[in-house]
Amino acid sequence: MAAYLLNLGVLISIYSILAITLNFIMGYAGIYSLAHAVFFGVGAYAGALAAMHLSASIFVTVPVAMACAAVLSLALALPALRVRGEYFVAASLGLQVLAVTIFAEWKSVTGGIGGLIGIPPVDLFGQAVYRPASFFPLSLAVLAIVIVVTRLLVRSSFGRNLTAIRDSESAAASFGKNVPLIKTISVVISAALAAVAGTLYAGYLSFINVESFMLDTSVLVMAMVIIGGTGTSWGPILGAAILLLLPGLLSYLSFLPPTEIGAIQQTLYGLGMAILMIFRPGGLVGRGKARETKSAAKVAVGQKPPAVEAKAEGAR
Amino acid sequence: MLWLQLALTGLQVGAVYALTAVGFSLIFGSTRIFHFAHGATFVLAAYVFYWAYQAGLPAPLGILAAAVAAVALGVTMDRLVYAPIQRHEGSFFTVFVASFGVGIAVQNIVGMVFGRSFVTVTTELSRSVKILDGVYVSPLAWIAVACAALFFVGLQWFLRRTHVGMALRALSDSPELIRAYGLDPRRLSTYAFALGSVLVVPGAIITAATSGLNPALGHHVMLISLAATIVGGIGSIGGALAAGFLLGLAESLALIVFESQWTEAVTFAILFLFILLRPAGLFGRAATS
Repeated sequence: MAAYLLNLGVLISIYSILAITLNFIMGYAGIYSLAHAVFFGVGAYAGALAAMHLSASIFVTVPVAMACAAVLSLALALPALRVRGEYFVAASLGLQVLAVTIFAEWKSVTGGIGGLIGIPPVDLFGQAVYRPASFFPLSLAVLAIVIVVTRLLVRSSFGRNLTAIRDSESAAASFGKNVPLIKTISVVISAALAAVAGTLYAGYLSFINVESFMLDTSVLVMAMVIIGGTGTSWGPILGAAILLLLPGLLSYLSFLPPTEIGAIQQTLYGLGMAILMIFRPGGLVGRGKARETKSAAKVAVGQKPPAVEAKAEGAR
Repeated sequence: MLWLQLALTGLQVGAVYALTAVGFSLIFGSTRIFHFAHGATFVLAAYVFYWAYQAGLPAPLGILAAAVAAVALGVTMDRLVYAPIQRHEGSFFTVFVASFGVGIAVQNIVGMVFGRSFVTVTTELSRSVKILDGVYVSPLAWIAVACAALFFVGLQWFLRRTHVGMALRALSDSPELIRAYGLDPRRLSTYAFALGSVLVVPGAIITAATSGLNPALGHHVMLISLAATIVGGIGSIGGALAAGFLLGLAESLALIVFESQWTEAVTFAILFLFILLRPAGLFGRAATS
């Protein structure tokens, strides 16, 4: 039982890191990405390969993973962020689909469908950390660092620039802010921090394959952020905890067929997202009415369509 | 002859993509609702047809059932999900997230009811016929292209000649003027959803009878519809049609060079090139903001 809870605790910490980093771009920069699992995956593969061929020290694997994810996110962000939201959603969805193919097919690097096995455990100051009892404090510590880093960023002038862009891109631009640059940097930071979660994940399980980094994972992390509360500090962690506890709770309901638990869980959080958007767009932690996205892009029938501006930007 | 075979297959796939993308583009263009659950509508329609086929119903009844299911899902989403959201704020992303959530739920419910493995509907029409040495085409390919042409011409006629059609085009230009003119944008929105959703039906049925179905198809359909809408130019229905054919042909012709698992990468590459070089799309209007 203790091992079960510790294992769950590790997973909640790792997914909380993912949810916090996705929230950083969704909640503060207004960028909705369906490719977060890609950066999680790149971090996991890069961290695992570094651990297998270079050194298992966390001070080697984590920087390697962060660098790889940062470079890849740059390739996504530079073209896609010159235009508006819809384009980024489409481009990130495309990247996610493409990445799954690459993870599954690039056999010499990712091990194909079979994945990478025998990944050395995370090494911290010469100590191999692999038991849940010792890994849980480590994952909590990393989570705490990520929380502190993102909060410092959000409260810095960079964070205020982000919020300004989210609330009104044209207003921020007219104040002389370099909107595409600021958005690109935020995406790179978010991807690099997501890679940290990937490295931890690979070192903890000592086995990874493509199944952990598919669109389902991107969707799950997005659901964590939205259900918890977009643009709040604690919402993503609450969302991660709820959605990871859900399968365990559902398996207590003995009348549900065990093979359908995954599908029932997805159905529940899908409907949960829709119902929250109708009644409480700010999420569980957020305020009743969404203040964060209100002016980001008014698309209601009766409002000025943003796509017209997107086209105008594109036409220039 | 390989290229000819692939080009003909590409046309068939392209016709399916084109119709689905036109449906999405019509909804997005006129109401500005980012209807991500469009892929789920496609999956639902296809599986309802499959169910009717399994139950031994005649094909026309199956088609009708699929159309009813598609329209019901589209209109229900508009009435029960989008209308309440738009009443209190209606930002692009709130609508997107709600739509996305419903899409996931529908996909999983379909998976629970019909299973998650591949299923196909086999008919006389899906059997390939030899037209040249080494070139085989099933009659469904011609039906797909004919459907795309027919539905597109019908839609153009509807949008240009009927009162509701003209109002829908006006809605995409200026909802304020629509209100000032005494029309109800919400009623028009429902029409857009009914029309856009029914457009997935031919593609859904042809996919069921050719390459087969699985509940996760929705995401692929959505990626294609989004890509075609952007490549064609947001708000341009003709653009979505052309881009749908372009993507289908490119995907199929890419098989000359790449293996089949890379087809989605081709779609992605085209989408990325357009975002990079021509974000307004093929027929995008250079509107002023």
